[in-house]
Amino acid sequence: MVTYEPGPSLAHEFDPRAKLAFQTGFAVAAFGRGTLPGLAAVTLVALAALAAARLSPLRALVAFRFPLLLLALSPVFAAVRLGPPWLDFGAAVDPALASYRVVPVLLVSAAYVRTTPVRESRAALQRVVPGKAGRVLGAGTAIAVRFFPVLLADLRRTREAMAVRLGDERALGERLRVTALAGVTRAFDRADRLSLALRARCFAWNPTLPALRFRRRDAALCVIAVLLALSPLI
Amino acid sequence: MSTDTDSVDLVDDLTVGHVAQAALIAAFVGAGAYVSFPIPFSAVPVTLQVLGVFLAGIVLGPVWGVVSMLLYLTVGAIGLPVFAGGGAGLGTLLGPTAGYLWSYPIAAGLIGAVVHRGTDLRDPADVSLPVIVGALVAGTVVIYALGVAGLVAVAGYELAGAVSAGALVFVPGEVLKTAVAAAIAKSGALPTR
Repeated sequence: MVTYEPGPSLAHEFDPRAKLAFQTGFAVAAFGRGTLPGLAAVTLVALAALAAARLSPLRALVAFRFPLLLLALSPVFAAVRLGPPWLDFGAAVDPALASYRVVPVLLVSAAYVRTTPVRESRAALQRVVPGKAGRVLGAGTAIAVRFFPVLLADLRRTREAMAVRLGDERALGERLRVTALAGVTRAFDRADRLSLALRARCFAWNPTLPALRFRRRDAALCVIAVLLALSPLI
Repeated sequence: MSTDTDSVDLVDDLTVGHVAQAALIAAFVGAGAYVSFPIPFSAVPVTLQVLGVFLAGIVLGPVWGVVSMLLYLTVGAIGLPVFAGGGAGLGTLLGPTAGYLWSYPIAAGLIGAVVHRGTDLRDPADVSLPVIVGALVAGTVVIYALGVAGLVAVAGYELAGAVSAGALVFVPGEVLKTAVAAAIAKSGALPTR
């Protein structure tokens, strides 16, 4: 699993808005390329992004093992035939290329996740998305991030409590019902307490966000993002 | 440090509650991806993730259910490991499972709209069982239709392969989750606004 880690890398220094723009431009470039040389070029850019984040490509790939398995199955499904010649490798080429386009996009998003703290992403989102929609998104994101480990612990406690009472010998549907209901009830209890606390502390639409600095290097990264987004047209 | 010197624009009490509930349910769906139960005779375990999407539509309704699922996608995109298998990042929202993930807001909105027949929420225990089951089945169809479409469009699957790898293997689990979500909705134990 790749998560944010503080560090001195080049990618840590960039403004999150510039990094978001780069990811978007890069995704357009990667999905717009269906040829082998084009895919090799975007792979090199993705490896450069990982190097800038000082993140090992192997670690990034392991973090995405689940989507990578789905991507790897696509050419396999295309190649297998229910009859002679059983395997048709020619049919697997297009699905393999289509699948591979996603891998550099996943790697670049791993570089973003590794180098951007959640509070900076939240500030970037709230500045990029205008009006109250952006503010609900910003506040909601901050709350969800804060409460994710708490609710995960709630669910694990429910399962442990069920197991020590031999509840894990109950039917599967019953276990699912008990765990899900306990999870939702706890989530609502916590939401009630949180909203009371937020009101008591004058929860406002215009909070002070962490300062973001958009410097020349960020502008340069945005220019690269635009060039990447336009590259499939060449 | 910069300081916002505008006058404070307070969020009204009702909206504070809605935002908190939507965010907490988003966190619940993310946490649900980590709680898996093995199913007999199936290689794919059941997680609480999709059950969370169903419940988001049922308890939050069509408006805040959608907001909650958009928050779930956003926290995943910015790096919280809330997607299946501990995934995170914008790349996952554009990857092979993109169809499933983007279908969550639509499914939660659809389930909420059918169960509550509009934006005014009612107690799901008072809604007839066929309506709830119909809403859940419609939501499931949306999730798997978009999921399969995502596999075809992003990963280059053929339709038959995408349906067998991306939908049929999940049928036993989905039948069970629909039954469980309907039982929870009708039990009267769900929190209401």
